[in-house]
Amino acid sequence: MKKLLLTTIILSALLSHAAFAAQTIKANVNGMVCAFCAQGIEKKMRALSQTKDVYVNLKQRLVAVEVKDGQTLSNDTIKDIVKKAGYEVTSIEMSEHPVAHIKMEMEAK
Amino acid sequence: MIYNRFKLLLSLLGTLMSQYGTAGPMGFDESFMAMGDFNNNWRESFINYAITPRDAFGVSATYMRADDKTKSRTLEEVTYTRLLKRWNAPHAQANLWFQGGIGALQGTDKQLGENRDFNKIMATPGVQFDYETTRIYFQAAHRLYRASDLNHDYTSVRAGFSFYESDYDKTQPWFILEARNMNSLSEKTEVTPMLRLINKSFFVEAGVNNSREPRFNFMYIF
Repeated sequence: MKKLLLTTIILSALLSHAAFAAQTIKANVNGMVCAFCAQGIEKKMRALSQTKDVYVNLKQRLVAVEVKDGQTLSNDTIKDIVKKAGYEVTSIEMSEHPVAHIKMEMEAK
Repeated sequence: MIYNRFKLLLSLLGTLMSQYGTAGPMGFDESFMAMGDFNNNWRESFINYAITPRDAFGVSATYMRADDKTKSRTLEEVTYTRLLKRWNAPHAQANLWFQGGIGALQGTDKQLGENRDFNKIMATPGVQFDYETTRIYFQAAHRLYRASDLNHDYTSVRAGFSFYESDYDKTQPWFILEARNMNSLSEKTEVTPMLRLINKSFFVEAGVNNSREPRFNFMYIF
């Protein structure tokens, strides 16, 4: 009985974490110096059906794309969009924080 | 005959394009860019569509006038813009562009109180180089404006700085100084200090040149 209870608690904790964790792809981009010129990246990212939110930070050279729950977005898609917009992805990392959180974090810097 | 058909084609293209909007040389892939550059002696409206990340086709209408008002030109042309090379650095970007067009020129020369009107086909190939960070900007451009017995080549250099860095979704103010010359239309170099405002949705510049004439530029991508 205790084992069953413990297993339930652990599974619930794991599942709840998975359910509430956001999936955000953070790309570092070279050459992104002007908002007027970089708008293409934002528009193309927002046009993807998997995209929930997008954040662009010129100072930190960052493009963050939050993926909708239950959807996936490949790094290659991100790289391809950035490349077609005329820029270059230098690195990509995943974050469990939503775009709103990343934005707040960046603006506090 | 050929000239009139060419003019008609340009007018039709202009009409078709105008339904998408009002008027850098190009936007991102599959986007329209409208641009306007206006002062007393040079008025240009331009719109193009990027068919690839590096190529755009468009139409342009330009009015040029000599400082002494003895010459005026109106040019309607189809244009091609090509990003020849882009350099992306961590905090900078540089570009080399080709811009060219071919179109119908209507000209008027006032000589001894008489007007001499003429029509010609004009070709306008040119190159532009720009370098930009979030704080400084430099651009140099040279474009030929040639027709038989006519040379109105255009040369411009621009440099400037932003007053401060700003967030992506905020408006950033810049100071830009431009020097330009239009061959056979102006003996002097036009120098214009301008205030530039850049936002992710719009780009506008306004200033007063060394002849105390106002100047206004804009660009819009959609």
